[in-house]
Amino acid sequence: MESQDVPHWIALLQPIADDEWIIAHRGSEWLGLAPDLEEDLAFSSINQDKMGHAQYYYALLEELGEKTPEDMVYGRSKEQWRHAVVLETAHGDWARLVALRYFYEVFDALRLERLSTASWQPLQDGVRKIRREEAYHLQHFTTWFEMLATGTEESRHRLREAIADLWPLLGGLFLWGPSEHFLTAIGLDSLRGSELQRSWETHVAEKMRSMDLPWPGALSSPVLDGRLGEHSPDMHDLLQVMTEVRRSEPAAHW
Amino acid sequence: MALNAAEYRVYEVFVQRDASQFHVNVGSLRAVNSEMALQMARETFFRREEPCEVWVVPQDCIVASPRDSAYLPVHTMDKQYRLPAGYDNAPRWKRFKAKAMTIEEVAEEMATHKQGGA
Amino acid sequence: MDEAQKTAEFMARIENGEKIEANDWMPEEYRNLLIKQIHMHGVSEIMGAYPEKEWVPKAPSIRRKLALNAKVQDEIGHGQMLLRLAEDLSRPYGRGREALMEDLLNGHVKFHNVFHMPAPTWADAGVIGFLVDGGAIITQAALLESSYAPYARMLKRIVAEESFHMQYGESVVLALAEGTTRQREMLQGAIDRWWEPMMFFFGPRQMGQSAEKMMHYRIRTKTNEELRQKFINRYVPRLQALGMRVPDPLVKKDPVTGEWGYTEPDWVRDTEMVRNNSGPQSQARLHLRRQAHSEQRWVREAVMHATALATV
Repeated sequence: MESQDVPHWIALLQPIADDEWIIAHRGSEWLGLAPDLEEDLAFSSINQDKMGHAQYYYALLEELGEKTPEDMVYGRSKEQWRHAVVLETAHGDWARLVALRYFYEVFDALRLERLSTASWQPLQDGVRKIRREEAYHLQHFTTWFEMLATGTEESRHRLREAIADLWPLLGGLFLWGPSEHFLTAIGLDSLRGSELQRSWETHVAEKMRSMDLPWPGALSSPVLDGRLGEHSPDMHDLLQVMTEVRRSEPAAHW
Repeated sequence: MALNAAEYRVYEVFVQRDASQFHVNVGSLRAVNSEMALQMARETFFRREEPCEVWVVPQDCIVASPRDSAYLPVHTMDKQYRLPAGYDNAPRWKRFKAKAMTIEEVAEEMATHKQGGA
Repeated sequence: MDEAQKTAEFMARIENGEKIEANDWMPEEYRNLLIKQIHMHGVSEIMGAYPEKEWVPKAPSIRRKLALNAKVQDEIGHGQMLLRLAEDLSRPYGRGREALMEDLLNGHVKFHNVFHMPAPTWADAGVIGFLVDGGAIITQAALLESSYAPYARMLKRIVAEESFHMQYGESVVLALAEGTTRQREMLQGAIDRWWEPMMFFFGPRQMGQSAEKMMHYRIRTKTNEELRQKFINRYVPRLQALGMRVPDPLVKKDPVTGEWGYTEPDWVRDTEMVRNNSGPQSQARLHLRRQAHSEQRWVREAVMHATALATV
């Protein structure tokens, strides 16, 4: 890798790593709380997978000169995180969880598909493994999305509420920070936000049409852009909880 | 109170661990449909292994034999004639100064041949 | 064949060391004892997930977080497998998952005393893995000989998974014991909290009527006191090796009998606590289960009506 490209790869990987970590952390709060025991097991595995993916990306970032994975997770202030704000929001009901995970999994699958052509071999190798696990995640939440959409009056109502609640925040997924030029520099123009968003909208619109769910309109730019380090009070709370034990004895081995 | 419709269906889960083995039952789970049963089976029973294939079968589709000699064979009479142990060829081969063969030996030779050859 | 004859034949099978399967004829009493035992075991696994679950978001390293996620997931998984067995046994009574879960929420089935207790520090989460899982492994390993084959088979699987829990719990405890003064104090504090509940965990020396009957039917084969002694014998030397104090002055091995002494837990108080779900965390944890089960009934109803992917 050319040394001038290092910052580009960092700009690429940090949002992806943070997305995976934060969505998995929030997901793990559902342990013991899924609507049936079998789902508890399935969902927990998905969250563990995602933490593993984040860990993999953090290890690559460390190779590029960033902090260690542990310090990336436990040693950053709110402003240093680059995930999309929608992923840090405190959880609501199961319909919101299903909608969020379905929307994210479609997005992540598209992102990974394009990432699989990355010229940096270690990344390409990791992405190949990660995609095998992500295929199950997407399938699982597609199934849930379809079941809630075709279930009862109540589940349809709750799903529509959840979609309405999430919609204004979803645009944040497709942003890349101050500039997208780095994508051109590393030959990954296909990952441009507008490209990703177009594919995502095509896919999701088709699903929603087939489920007879109304399309809420174009995605808007979010008020807070997590890719720029802008985060909500929910992220403050998340960090307080996540680092509580670690902070109590920062130099210690746990 | 009958088992009401307000319950997910019970599926028995069978796993084939690799292509050389048959499917064996590992337990059961509740799922709303067969698609979910397959997805659930994966994380309910195979969190630490990579199976070759998984079957889910609605429990009520399984017909189990009564534990009864009318259904389950009991070999009380002498059936030695159909068992390898029922034959005493080895000492007889010995009298002809030749070694008795076993099927394991043959299989092993074939396996070795396969490895060594090609 | 009349009932008495069938029962006599059944007992002959049991005494002969034969195993009973789910669809075999069995005396009503045997069935009810099994349901009672496996139901309680299953819901205890589920309720046992909550004290540790609280620490998943706070786990202090990536590896600990992944491992604790996996461990809590396993506990839920054990609950799932055990409830399936209890559900199959309850079929003649027309009771399935929903009914067995309701029993927990209504206080009709009890869960282990240890899961009524608070886990206020990270060390508690480790000590649960070390002592509580350690105790559970002893009781479960003693059930591997159970006359009820589906239970024995499932326990084999459960015990295999528990061996990961044991390693995990030991790893957390060792890290604290190797750590700073504060970490060691945190560990001692947790041991002080969990020792007495662990003495209660194995049940009274004088076993109750149903425990005696379970011995009779060989559903279980070891007494409460035998199991408690094995536990003390394993864990006291380990705690001492770590330089930790066993918070009970009576814990000493009798040089003649080899029996360990211990202070009797408050049997009356703790029995009341388990019976009434009146421990410090009983209601809070039941509330979490209610949130999962009752408050999400709408989800299960919805998917059963879902036209997408409906089972043909």
